Amino acid sequence: MRNTSPARQAMIKFAPALLLALCCVASAQTPQATPPPPAPQRAVQFPRPVEQTLASGLRVIVVERAANPLVAAQLLIKNGGEVDPPELSGLADMTAGLLTKGTESRDATQIAEAIEALGGSLDAGARWDASNATVGVMSSKIDQAIAILADVVRHPVFKDEEIERLRQQYLDNIRVSLGQPGAIARFVGARVVFGDAPYGHPLNGTPESLARIKREDIVKLHGQFYRPDNAILIIGGDIKAQNAFDLAKRYFGDWQKPPAALPVPDRNTLANSKGGRVVVIDKPDAGQAAVYLVRTGIERRNPDYFRGIVTNSVLSGYSGRLNQEIRIKRGLSYGAASTLDTRREVGPFVAFAQTKNQSGAQVADLLLGEISRLATAPPSEGELTPRKAVLVGTFSRNLEQVNGLVGQIGSLALYGLGLDEINKYIGSVQGITPADVQKFAVSRLDAKGANIVVVGNAKEFLPELSKRFPNLEVIPIAELDLNTGLLRKKKQQ
Amino acid sequence: MQWKNSVLVTLFAVLLLATSALKDAQAQGGMPQLKFRDRTLPNGLRLLSVEDHSSPTVAIQVWYHVGSKDDPAARSGFAHLFEHIMFKSTRNMKAEMMDRLTEDVGGFNNATTNDDVTIYFEVVPSNYLETLLWAEADRLSGLNVDDPNFKSERDVVKEEFRQGVLAPPYGLFFHMLQQKSFQEHPYKRPTIGSIEDLDAATLKDVQDFHATYYRPDDATLIVVGDFDQKELDAWVDKYFRPITKPDRPLPRVNIKEPPRKGEKRFTEYGQNVPLPAVGFTYLTPRQSDADSDALRVAEAILAAGESSRLYHALVYEQQVAAEVAADAELREDASLFVLFAILSADKKPEDAEKSLLAEIKRLQDTPPSAAELEKAKNQIITEQLRQRETSNGKALALGEAAVLLGDANRVNTDLSRLQAITAADVQKVLQKYLTDDNRMVLYYLPQNAKTEKSVAPAPEATTKEGR
Repeated sequence: MRNTSPARQAMIKFAPALLLALCCVASAQTPQATPPPPAPQRAVQFPRPVEQTLASGLRVIVVERAANPLVAAQLLIKNGGEVDPPELSGLADMTAGLLTKGTESRDATQIAEAIEALGGSLDAGARWDASNATVGVMSSKIDQAIAILADVVRHPVFKDEEIERLRQQYLDNIRVSLGQPGAIARFVGARVVFGDAPYGHPLNGTPESLARIKREDIVKLHGQFYRPDNAILIIGGDIKAQNAFDLAKRYFGDWQKPPAALPVPDRNTLANSKGGRVVVIDKPDAGQAAVYLVRTGIERRNPDYFRGIVTNSVLSGYSGRLNQEIRIKRGLSYGAASTLDTRREVGPFVAFAQTKNQSGAQVADLLLGEISRLATAPPSEGELTPRKAVLVGTFSRNLEQVNGLVGQIGSLALYGLGLDEINKYIGSVQGITPADVQKFAVSRLDAKGANIVVVGNAKEFLPELSKRFPNLEVIPIAELDLNTGLLRKKKQQ
Repeated sequence: MQWKNSVLVTLFAVLLLATSALKDAQAQGGMPQLKFRDRTLPNGLRLLSVEDHSSPTVAIQVWYHVGSKDDPAARSGFAHLFEHIMFKSTRNMKAEMMDRLTEDVGGFNNATTNDDVTIYFEVVPSNYLETLLWAEADRLSGLNVDDPNFKSERDVVKEEFRQGVLAPPYGLFFHMLQQKSFQEHPYKRPTIGSIEDLDAATLKDVQDFHATYYRPDDATLIVVGDFDQKELDAWVDKYFRPITKPDRPLPRVNIKEPPRKGEKRFTEYGQNVPLPAVGFTYLTPRQSDADSDALRVAEAILAAGESSRLYHALVYEQQVAAEVAADAELREDASLFVLFAILSADKKPEDAEKSLLAEIKRLQDTPPSAAELEKAKNQIITEQLRQRETSNGKALALGEAAVLLGDANRVNTDLSRLQAITAADVQKVLQKYLTDDNRMVLYYLPQNAKTEKSVAPAPEATTKEGR
């Protein structure tokens, strides 16, 4: 593959004037020497979601899209890894993972057999701010699929035997993750930015925290958060709205909310916006170095949201500045990119690339350089227009598939945003100006607030990196402790 | 968790699941027929097109019938490196102009190389169709790459090698699984190649490769989406018809992979192996063979989903593996049926091997139940429906049928082939191919297991070196 992101699919509506100025070659005399110009663009309309709230407080949203005979249904719980107690990281994800491992009427094997016999899929897990269970099937099978979905969300039994089995799988998975420089850098980056605050820990837990999780912790979390007044059901695809509402009522209508009030999180959520920390994780057997620049970003509901995602698009994507400088101009990586991860509270901004160990320091410099450059001058209109087109195109292609459609609607609902945002997205992106981008870069992405994490074979890049950052910390992989913002295991006595 | 390497396997996995079914899906939910037009220009270029106005976009693909099996001698990885070079300067385009014509207008492009084919694809707003046809014709008719561009892109491919093979814990395992599976056929060289062979490649190699394989009679152009057939035909005539077909014959690989005569076993050690892995491959026939459909169903019965036999036995019941997979890796000349297990902590590779063999034997001894067969077919059909949600996915399915199966119609008829597979067919292909003498076994173990007397449980502190 040529590009780093896996190939996604098609659908666009917006097409700015073709930037011929960027691409013409000198000898343009034959009809074939220059590209033919585009025809007039065609308009597009996204589906309009409709919704009802059941008496129990369960919000049900339906979005019809009949282009293909597929339906997806997602039950969202409005809390995820951020409610893990500090010593029990991974609890929300394990709780969600256990939903499909046994209910009052079916054991784990029967659940898998039931959904797979339909040719369908059933996935459950937690992310930041939400937990979810999702089914996807041919539209003719949606009735049976929603019955299974309701069963796993409402009637899980959390058998000890299943808890042990899943715990072992999580331990194996984390062990494999800790063999990957990129995964380690993400874990360390989160601790650097969030310290011991709720977004700081690994979502899937650490070997130590997983060992501490008990059945009663799981039952308690499920009881506290899995309730209709803290849930949203989104059904999308080839299904009539009335049929979808009927199914929701049949399988979720008698789901009662408990008398106790929803718990209010009381932990300090403040991220560390100070920056300036440079952490090297020395992993001598690493086949490549992972270089991450991390800092605080913004929350999803921030009025700067569209400024933020357009700014990120100037940096990220195949032809974004990071990939231009690191891959296209210098051949230093298979791909460099950045993400502005917006959440209920302030989330992280991350710019990253993997490179041969010897180039680790150079790539760190390039990442920092590009973040700084963005604050010193606005991008030209000629640069900004295509970067906005990328956002719009990606957004639209995502809505072409039922999973993407349901995911987008779910995300708007989760953060209390209007569902008609999907039809306003393009206009909001188009409204962002070069000055907006610079303003966002100055106010939200200042390089002084940035931290650097490099995971790799340190002896290859440390001499150069420590010249640039004399205060850097070096932590041998064996001493890395992901349970704390300090990142280092306490010395054994 | 993703275990596979993108260049080598991902596209193939998509393609494998892609060709399948129809009649049942129509009964169960209505899988639309792909009504395609099939036309060949006098210079040999084939055009397949499907008009579909459901969204104002169009997918354009060009399939060249050249893959890593055609890598020149001592140039493993070259077909894939060449694919990258196709995005540099051409006769009338500057380097990266393809990105200006796609990404900058809200579309995307990509390309992928596997053992048998190289595929270039773009999805753009439909008003850009003519522009992209011009661009694809331009890079088919001539490259114009300079040395700095060539070298920097070669460095990118070397980073792709490191990122796919060296950095992830099982990159080398999958790399070696393919290397050790073929004795004679060039499939023994994985698509990504090797750093040394990439370093040896020159600009001259690029021009030679283009002249040899990038010719109209080796290309299939596929267009799916929002266009008018008459306009499309006129544009294809305008931009592709003038490209001349060389007089030289197209070279084709005709090396036959000999049958395996007896089990082969390998034990390899890696630097970064968090948990040991065990892999099997069996040599199976070419993709167009009649047994391929039954092998695909066998793959689903063995390993699709948590109710599959291998997952249930090895991951759920015995907890000997953290991850298990089966894959009917179909190829044009000779295929592999691959099974692998990543072990759970403190488990022995011998135990995983024994369990894998027991599950194979069980399916050889007793045919699958009717419900199990039905489930496997439903899984394959749903997967295909998912792929065909997009015009790009439809074009991939059509290209696979036309180029790799040699019959574009199979994009619509494969569902009835799938439906015709019986439990006895599945049992029969297992008995025929998954034999002891046809097995290659690879153990992939952590470096520190090498010094120990037996393959003991992996010790906890594997990363304490250097101190």
